[in-house]
Amino acid sequence: MTTAPFEVQRTGNAVTLIVRGALDITTAPPLADEIDKIIAAKPAKVHVDLSPLELIDSSGVAALVKLYKGVRAIGGAFTLDGARDQPLAIFKLLRMDKVFKAP
Amino acid sequence: MLPIRLVVPGLLRYRAVAVRMVAEAARMVSGSRPRDEADDARSYDLRDPFDAAVVSAFGEIFNNVAVHAYDRKGGGSIEIAITPSERDIWIEVRDEGQPFALADVAPMADIDPDGLPERGMGIHIAKTMLDEMIYEPGPPNLWRLCKRIDWQRGGA
Repeated sequence: MTTAPFEVQRTGNAVTLIVRGALDITTAPPLADEIDKIIAAKPAKVHVDLSPLELIDSSGVAALVKLYKGVRAIGGAFTLDGARDQPLAIFKLLRMDKVFKAP
Repeated sequence: MLPIRLVVPGLLRYRAVAVRMVAEAARMVSGSRPRDEADDARSYDLRDPFDAAVVSAFGEIFNNVAVHAYDRKGGGSIEIAITPSERDIWIEVRDEGQPFALADVAPMADIDPDGLPERGMGIHIAKTMLDEMIYEPGPPNLWRLCKRIDWQRGGA
């Protein structure tokens, strides 16, 4: 059984999304649903913490891109950090590290 | 080494077990050791670039077969044969679903922050991560994936 590998923390008008374990084609759909809720609340800031994330695939990347686009569309600030190992390699391969400002 | 074989139904719910097997086979080639010696079955450890590349590419191909060949409905099997050696790993993935139009996959464009893609990245990831990626439409359809050890990297 697959469980959603994310946690959402809300503080005022800011949201922190922590993603852990594997974000892939089997776990990304529930995150995409949560992203819709995050965007609907029009937060001023959204921060994504990927430090506990071990594995990501193209579906996981697509979910994060959806969040990034949604936050920008409502004029919010988007930050992402903590990507390492395989997830960082994927971001660099797709050249999204420059967009997401991954280290 | 003898090939390692696994046959699973062509459904995404079997992805995790297949990825786990490929990750361990990649470790046989790279010589990497998992971070947690307790063998946490829910934990991935892909610090080694070779392991990360092999698992990333295989995961995308498994996704492709389950989603495109079997239309997320199963109805057939996915047969995986892994041949690790001291210098490389070969992975063959066979399915009996619809052939995939690999030639129709457009190359990734330069990343534009306002036009980031939300799909179509899987084949690009697999192809870039591997040294060889060969697709032979069937039936059965056959993906042949190869990743070689970089002898310049040292340590493995």
